[in-house]
Amino acid sequence: MSPLLEMRTITKEYRGVAAVKDVSFALENGEIHALVGENGAGKSTLTKIIAGAVALTSGTMLLDGKPITFAVPKDALSAGIAMVYQENSLVPALTVAQNIFLGKERFFNRMRGINIAAQQFLQSLNFGVDPTASVGSLGAAQRQMVEIARAVRQRARIIIFDEPTASLTPEEKFHFFGLMKRLKQNGVSIIFISHALEEALQNADRITVLRDGQHVLTDLAANLDRSAVIRAMVGRNLSGEIYGVHAGSKSVRKRGRKVLSVQNLSMGSMVRNTSFSVFAGQVTGMFGLIGSGRTETAKIIAGVLKRDMLHGGEVKLDGRPVRYRVPQPAVRDGIVYVTEDRKLEGFFETMSIGGNLNVSAMATRGGIFTLVNLADVRRLAKKWIEAIKIRAINGDARVIELSGGNQQKVVIAKSLVQTPKLIIFDEPTRGVDVGAIAEIHQFINQLADEGLAVVVISSYLPEIMNLSDRILVTRQGRVVEEFTAREATEERIMYAAVH
Amino acid sequence: MLRGVIDRFVGRGDAAITVPPMDGALRPNQRLEEAHVVMEARAPDNLILHHGDVLFSSGRDLRKLETGAVVRSFDRPIACVAAAADGRLAVGLTGAEVVVIETDGTVAPLPATQTSCATALAFLGDSLIICRGSARYAADQWKRDLMESGIARQGSGSVVLFPRDGVPRLMADQLRWPFGVLPVGDRIVISESWAHRLVLLDPHGSVRPEPVLLDLPGYPARLAPASEGTAWLSVFAPRSQLIEFVLREDGYRRRMVSEIDPDYWIAPALANGRSFLEPIQGGALKQMGVLKPWAPSRSYGLVIKLNDDFEPTLSLHSRADGSRHGTASVLEHSETLFVASKGGNVVLGLPVEELVEQ
Repeated sequence: MSPLLEMRTITKEYRGVAAVKDVSFALENGEIHALVGENGAGKSTLTKIIAGAVALTSGTMLLDGKPITFAVPKDALSAGIAMVYQENSLVPALTVAQNIFLGKERFFNRMRGINIAAQQFLQSLNFGVDPTASVGSLGAAQRQMVEIARAVRQRARIIIFDEPTASLTPEEKFHFFGLMKRLKQNGVSIIFISHALEEALQNADRITVLRDGQHVLTDLAANLDRSAVIRAMVGRNLSGEIYGVHAGSKSVRKRGRKVLSVQNLSMGSMVRNTSFSVFAGQVTGMFGLIGSGRTETAKIIAGVLKRDMLHGGEVKLDGRPVRYRVPQPAVRDGIVYVTEDRKLEGFFETMSIGGNLNVSAMATRGGIFTLVNLADVRRLAKKWIEAIKIRAINGDARVIELSGGNQQKVVIAKSLVQTPKLIIFDEPTRGVDVGAIAEIHQFINQLADEGLAVVVISSYLPEIMNLSDRILVTRQGRVVEEFTAREATEERIMYAAVH
Repeated sequence: MLRGVIDRFVGRGDAAITVPPMDGALRPNQRLEEAHVVMEARAPDNLILHHGDVLFSSGRDLRKLETGAVVRSFDRPIACVAAAADGRLAVGLTGAEVVVIETDGTVAPLPATQTSCATALAFLGDSLIICRGSARYAADQWKRDLMESGIARQGSGSVVLFPRDGVPRLMADQLRWPFGVLPVGDRIVISESWAHRLVLLDPHGSVRPEPVLLDLPGYPARLAPASEGTAWLSVFAPRSQLIEFVLREDGYRRRMVSEIDPDYWIAPALANGRSFLEPIQGGALKQMGVLKPWAPSRSYGLVIKLNDDFEPTLSLHSRADGSRHGTASVLEHSETLFVASKGGNVVLGLPVEELVEQ
């Protein structure tokens, strides 16, 4: 019996450079197939070929044993292949229900009917999202749920999920994998891309590993373990380098002077009378479940959001009260925030690396009339490409052409151009491959070693434990517990975050 | 003027009712609660080293810590004590002057006009440094001084240097209740309680205080030298948002001070839970009759170790649910850290080698 979908020696080239090369891949009926690999390994390109978003350069694709080609995504959708992209494809101005039914509307539509149908459908998926809410008002996790719901609604035979759980809470992930199994029981085949290897190992039937655009390994998940997958992904054993720290064994940096003191900070119901300090020469980890107010607190500090106008608390930088209405004065004072949503807030994707870095550098200089010297921009780009190992042809490469890990490095470089004394990383390795994670972690450690005050916000406990010299736990909008790196265990941190 | 009104309305600047967090080196623990009791005594204070013995004050008596024996009694409660290397003692008496007890036992009172309300003393060579908490009240009226001054930028406290045979010299004035003094190298560190800070003074030159540690989460008291690091700092009460709010409400404080017994004021305290008439402590954090340790309280026990840069490196706590509060004096001797809990009526001893940095 032939596989449901088969790809034979697929190659896709961009300007003569192969993104995937001679890759063969097969998806069986009712199978959950995980696709893993470093950023730039070719996973997204391969799935985009399947979904009709990218045309292949050479090779053959067979669906039900018959050769098939898709000119546009609509062709793939007609053939029963839907893709949930990592980048959000929802329309922010429309409601959740309107987005779910987008493209499937009848000639005459009754809003009440659409809302009820959407409500029932979301409930059947165990997704707690209000169908009448505007998508623009939803958080990242809820937007992801709507995206998934839309794909499921299209009754596809093959659904491709690109990093579906990156912004979901543990409980939402549990529901998501339950849903994936239900879809599988109904005969739907699933391809899912994930950087969380445990998820792939626990939920997939088979795992395919790509490296540098080439096929490395396909095997049953039951035959593989974490280190075997990582070895296949990067060609060496990285697990010890990335998350090899256990409680009590980490060497803790000495605390420097107090750089930041947050006192009784409040913002609506998201940040509630929270207080904490950040010290120079240390990495302060901030852990909490989604909705615990970590990102909002960081954004208030950096001037992206405003605290409550009346009695909103105080932020003291080097003992001096500061209150920023926009980020620019915060940047000038040496506070930078590296966003969790790099695609939306991190860079100008159609601009070059150099252009992005130059925009950041100009933020510290200010002024209305600024002459841009292109030679300086190129020098700036070259310097940072070398400093933090951004893999790009040169500084003129557009950010949109880079892999997720390298895009993240550009975002980090943009922040460092501003010569900060306090840098806040919000989910620094979300959607980043293991190889780049190691490099980013190394870089964050280096910044702390150089004496900067570093804050790392992360939902991934091993990351927090590996990086942090001290760990703050947030719950319901405030810091509720502090651990030193030596005494922190996953259980203690999670207990503080939940109870 | 207009800015002050706006600040008061929106709660920022001086009107921001905020309290610095106890985290980092100040992360709460139970070390004072778990510490060994060396001596039980009424309101112990002023731990000093004199001829190799540790002495402390309790009411009018100066007592030996090892045996509890009274070394000397005075006709007024002792406010502060200092011992010189040559064996001289200086004792500040509540509501009166400072007296110097020479090595031969003779008592020499210093002029009351220049030494009243002495809160802390230290010998610097032959000279005596006297911290005067207030020009208005005696040392035991500290609560009234705080409640009347509120959040005023300037206080009536001062530091005076008394050379053995010379003319007294004012080193600094307009201080907000200087409550601790420690010579460090050729400088002097002063703890300024109502300003929640430590300031550095030059005994020979400028009188302008240089802040070295700001925004403490409590009211700092006495300082003592540390074997590793610069100093131990005792903090006798915590800051809380409720008290910070009251300190900004002048009319409310005026009525409170005129109509209510000082023990029941919404103000810092050395101890709590002794009467049901006390202002509620912990508020909603008292659940099922149990006061949660993180509840905001009027009293607290806190000792902080400072490094050469006057940055906190470790701390010892007695929290809201504890009893060893009102820690106004500390002394390191013979590899033991002695802490006088004035509110808890005990002197505690902690092995220094077990006090590792957090």
